[in-house]
Amino acid sequence: MNAPIANQGRNPFDDPVDRILAEIALSTQLPPSLHRKAVDRYEAVRKYLEADEAFNGDIEHFYPQGSMAIDGTISTRGTDDEYDIDIVAQLGGRFRSMDPLSILKELERALKDYPVRKVVRQTRCVTLFYSDNMHLDVTPSLRAYGTADRESYITHAKGPFAGADDQFVDMNAYGFAEWYRANTPLEPRLARAFRDRWFAMDAALAKAAEIDEVPEQCDFVVKNTATLALQLLKRYRNICYANYDGRIPLSVMLSYYAGVSARPNMSLSDMLVRVANWIKGDIDEANRRGQLLHVANPVTPDDVFTDRWPASFAQQEEFSRHLERLVVGVETAKRGDVTPDKLTDWLRAQFGDRVVTMAVDRMANMVGQSVQDAAHGYSRKGGLILPVAAATGLAVAPSVVRASPHTFFGERI
Amino acid sequence: MGALSMKQQRARMKALWPGFAERRIDFEQKSVRWVGHCRPQLMPYTLDVRYQLGGFPEVRVLKPELIRLPGNAEGSLPHVYPPAVDPTLCLFDPAENQWVSSMFIAETTLPWAYDWIVCYEMWLMTGRWTGGGRHGPARRMGVIS
Repeated sequence: MNAPIANQGRNPFDDPVDRILAEIALSTQLPPSLHRKAVDRYEAVRKYLEADEAFNGDIEHFYPQGSMAIDGTISTRGTDDEYDIDIVAQLGGRFRSMDPLSILKELERALKDYPVRKVVRQTRCVTLFYSDNMHLDVTPSLRAYGTADRESYITHAKGPFAGADDQFVDMNAYGFAEWYRANTPLEPRLARAFRDRWFAMDAALAKAAEIDEVPEQCDFVVKNTATLALQLLKRYRNICYANYDGRIPLSVMLSYYAGVSARPNMSLSDMLVRVANWIKGDIDEANRRGQLLHVANPVTPDDVFTDRWPASFAQQEEFSRHLERLVVGVETAKRGDVTPDKLTDWLRAQFGDRVVTMAVDRMANMVGQSVQDAAHGYSRKGGLILPVAAATGLAVAPSVVRASPHTFFGERI
Repeated sequence: MGALSMKQQRARMKALWPGFAERRIDFEQKSVRWVGHCRPQLMPYTLDVRYQLGGFPEVRVLKPELIRLPGNAEGSLPHVYPPAVDPTLCLFDPAENQWVSSMFIAETTLPWAYDWIVCYEMWLMTGRWTGGGRHGPARRMGVIS
């Protein structure tokens, strides 16, 4: 019997449409320098809390949740360079007998002099606002004993006074992250391509990296196509709802769909279309049944991801229309049915002016430099093969025609 | 090294670029025309390549119609030879002898035409021509009509 073929994944920089989408994702995701800063920061916050008499010995776990736990962090909604990092502080001891608001207030007190720009108690967490626009949400939780690993209750209390709505809410961010990682395994070819792309853009980062640093250990790198598609989808949602005040489709719900629809060795554009269609299909089915979309944590059914959105049929129908527009646009680009100038306009409208400008500028520089250096080649059908792909050996294949150096001349007409 | 024969050029073209078909061969004039489809990057194109022994190869984009960007620093359409209504791509610097008749069109002119297309598409997306080159006075090269 033949050995199973490993899921290597695809290099998104091999295909022109995927290359643009990958560059857009690169422009929105948490840069490696900030990733390391985020890790340092939440470790520092833990030490600071442990030094507080009220918390000393009662912090059972302190771990990243949400996008940080699945390498899916992108810039915060309404911004191009602000990032939210979510941390769970699992508490024990005397906190187990306290009400939600008291726990949140105790956390706020312990962090009030923390050296950041601002400390704000929210409904479910305490947020630290750093001067470089990073926000660290510390969510207190209590372990739900007798349940799966780290299944917990998180605090929910508006304050400043105790209210009837104050409650503990089921949560299993840890279990969800484990589930997500199991559904979206490492795709080495993709992870390596992204690591190399970051290194190409950041010489200091490349120099600081261990020579033998492999993608599995390179914690800042997106490790599979589904997560890359998820980042694009989150960015698209952020732009769609940029001027909207109400609640929007939750990132964790989108993460669930990326995990459940993930399939090995898909192209980035195909994966983006697949996850968007999957969500749209579920919304349309819910509409047909006269129900609101219901999505729960696959490992903890009481942890409902749609508890705050959608609140109405209109909300879910609106998101379905947004998803349809995304699918049509990506498929049109894949067919080559849109001129490059119009494609840029469309991308700007869907993913934001600044990040798309950065993405296409980088792509133009990469393509132009390859042409000037004659470092690229063409397939027998005339498809461009850039040096990033050449590194995998494609350029030396007999089916690839290498371009020779030349100088464009002629007039401007 | 001497000029390659029409037979050599045609054979190499056929071997490397199966998507390009010979449309007109004039044995008396020693000229040939190829038309083919390609998609170097984002959009599909139909290219017309003409060559007459002793002259320079000439490439036109038959489809789609090339887009102009009036007011762009590189001109409304960079690195072409006039006339504006029927431009041909200018793919090498004649002063540098970058193309001589001992070279295969299939290994030079056609990949260079693809280079022009990918740079043109990036130019449409960014307004910048990143493929290098220089603009000079128009000097129609020896091509077949």
